[in-house]
Amino acid sequence: MSERDLPGMSFNEALEENLALARWSRREFLGRVAAFGAATALTQLLVACGQGGASPSAAAPTAGPTPAGTTTAEATATPEPTPVPTPEGELFVYNWDGYIGEDTVANFQDKYGIKVKYDLFPDEATQIGKLQSDGKGGGYDVSYPASTWMPSFIQDGLVRQLDHSLIPNLKNLSATWQNPGYDPGNAYSVPNYWWTTGFAWDPKHISKDLTSWDALWDSAYSGHMAMLDDMRECFGAAAFRLGLSPNTTDLAELDQIVQLLEQQKPLLRLYTQDDIGDLTSGSLWLTHAWSGDWVQMTYDKPKTKYAIPSEGAVRGNDVMVVLAGAPHPIAAHLWIDFNLDADVSAANTNYIGYMGPNDAALPKIDDYIKNDPKLNPPPEVLAQLVELKYLAPADLDQYTNRWTALRA
Amino acid sequence: VTATATPADQPRTALRETGGPRLSDRLSAGVLILPGVVWLIALFLLPLGIMAVISLGANDPNGHVTLANPSLGNYAEAFRAEYFPAFVRSLYYAGAATILSLGIGYPVAYWISRHGGRRKILLLILVMLPFWTSWLIRTYAWMIILRDNGIVNGLLTSTGLIDSPIPILNTDFAVILGMTYGFLPYAILPLFVSIDRLDESLVQAGRDLYASGRGAFLHVTLPLTMPGVVAAALLTFIPALGDFVTPDLLGGAQTTTIAKLVQVIFTSGHDWPYGSALGFLLMAVTILGTLLALRTLRQEVIGGSAAR
Repeated sequence: MSERDLPGMSFNEALEENLALARWSRREFLGRVAAFGAATALTQLLVACGQGGASPSAAAPTAGPTPAGTTTAEATATPEPTPVPTPEGELFVYNWDGYIGEDTVANFQDKYGIKVKYDLFPDEATQIGKLQSDGKGGGYDVSYPASTWMPSFIQDGLVRQLDHSLIPNLKNLSATWQNPGYDPGNAYSVPNYWWTTGFAWDPKHISKDLTSWDALWDSAYSGHMAMLDDMRECFGAAAFRLGLSPNTTDLAELDQIVQLLEQQKPLLRLYTQDDIGDLTSGSLWLTHAWSGDWVQMTYDKPKTKYAIPSEGAVRGNDVMVVLAGAPHPIAAHLWIDFNLDADVSAANTNYIGYMGPNDAALPKIDDYIKNDPKLNPPPEVLAQLVELKYLAPADLDQYTNRWTALRA
Repeated sequence: VTATATPADQPRTALRETGGPRLSDRLSAGVLILPGVVWLIALFLLPLGIMAVISLGANDPNGHVTLANPSLGNYAEAFRAEYFPAFVRSLYYAGAATILSLGIGYPVAYWISRHGGRRKILLLILVMLPFWTSWLIRTYAWMIILRDNGIVNGLLTSTGLIDSPIPILNTDFAVILGMTYGFLPYAILPLFVSIDRLDESLVQAGRDLYASGRGAFLHVTLPLTMPGVVAAALLTFIPALGDFVTPDLLGGAQTTTIAKLVQVIFTSGHDWPYGSALGFLLMAVTILGTLLALRTLRQEVIGGSAAR
């Protein structure tokens, strides 16, 4: 990293520079910076720097339809102007940082002449809080919640039923994603990325090829291990090790699970919110991790390994939704359709390393992702994966009570 | 030791005896204080009131807060034996950080006051300099310093003092260090004010009466600056008790505090009523501690002088 003059750099460049020194990914850093609200102002500054857009909830969303013609200056970039079946000139998207292809927003703006205001959230709690703040999506058009939220969002009327006629690219979804349990028929949501939760380790310290959840209870690695600071994932890991369902609501089974986690706690260095940074900085030898985070670890430590444990693992996915209060619902549908396009979907996956549910995109996905059984597992492994289900508040309380007692 | 009325008190007393400030003065004072009052009501008391109401409610089957059957059940539930270790740990971290802040802060404040000379203001600005950067960023800096491949471990291994990195991050030590670092300026400022206001001639009088340097400090300086010490202790202890950022970032699996549990209940558990109740209990403990400290202070300073 060269010594550069700070005043000559943009704030973002300076940030990237410093993060590179500190060996954190920008996304991770931003996420954690804002995770505690203490630096809200800074985050807003970063968001503003990154996207040059104000928060739609702060800058009153344009209620009335804007003629598309007023903002189609960029449309000249496309040789054949695409007919825009929308009177909407703007779109408010709320997503993780660094979560889609680098050119996705620019390409969408070029194609449709719709100006995208792209806001970032640092963590899920912030995202959900904002979306629920006014009961209809916090003024955004599109967001990317975890699929586990769908039953509750549908019930609360937080999301809008999709008009499938505006999303012809739905045909690109693979058959396994046409009728997911959390939202039958994809009536309210479209699957975006999916991942597994397994564990990652540094072969410098652990030369064994780990395959079982047992590894995270192995006292040989005591003080050098972490679990994710995520209640459902921790319960899931212990459940798989016990041969139970990660969605169990049986109190005796939950007691068994938490007992196993109690045994593990003294061996742990921490419950990590930054599995990437903690492993690549050398603090950890072995950590409970999301598959996409493992991909990011390999940017820093190429030899880092990952396993989908043989006992089974959680398969997670997130979805694109149109929010109930979306000021630009048609533009929102166009955005979803655009991201289901084979090229766009492949570009998104190639950027972040998470597989999408898109069959048409498969030939265009980089070989290192497509041919990696950990990122694109074979059918027999897929059959071992379990989706986390939404828990009713009374059941969730049973989890939380045990989790807080464990953590205290 | 006799506490005398300072000259500044005289006009105020005189004013009161002549019927208090004029109406226009009171009006302008009211106008001046209005923004502060509005701020406190809108951004402090109102949210606090909302949380108080929520803490009496419960989650309905759809996961929304309902006040259909208000009860104190959440408070009863908050007294769980399982939380005791986290509570003790919170007190331990906050207490240790407070003692360290006073121990480090008092000599610094004393030195700035007595030996700062023309540079007093500059030195005070230096004390406050860290506030120019977000606290979170500074805590991250500590992570870089303390982590296994960080600066401290790098120095220790390169000088051959240790063979492999020792875990410093994610320990009690790191948490207490981080808190002490973070709250030290809050301790130094009130200490400085009380030391700087102390009339040097009182110490001289003590010395004239054959008190040793140590004796004069223990029997004159320290008692007279006790208000500053108590203020510094409160300004360190209270935020340290509620701090979950430092234990969360610098701590590890074995350093959970009550504040972190409250956060978990809100975020993972989506249980606002229960989280609010636990938060209020923590606040009650804090207020109780503050009142006790202030009472001790009153007896120490005002009570002591009134007795003479």
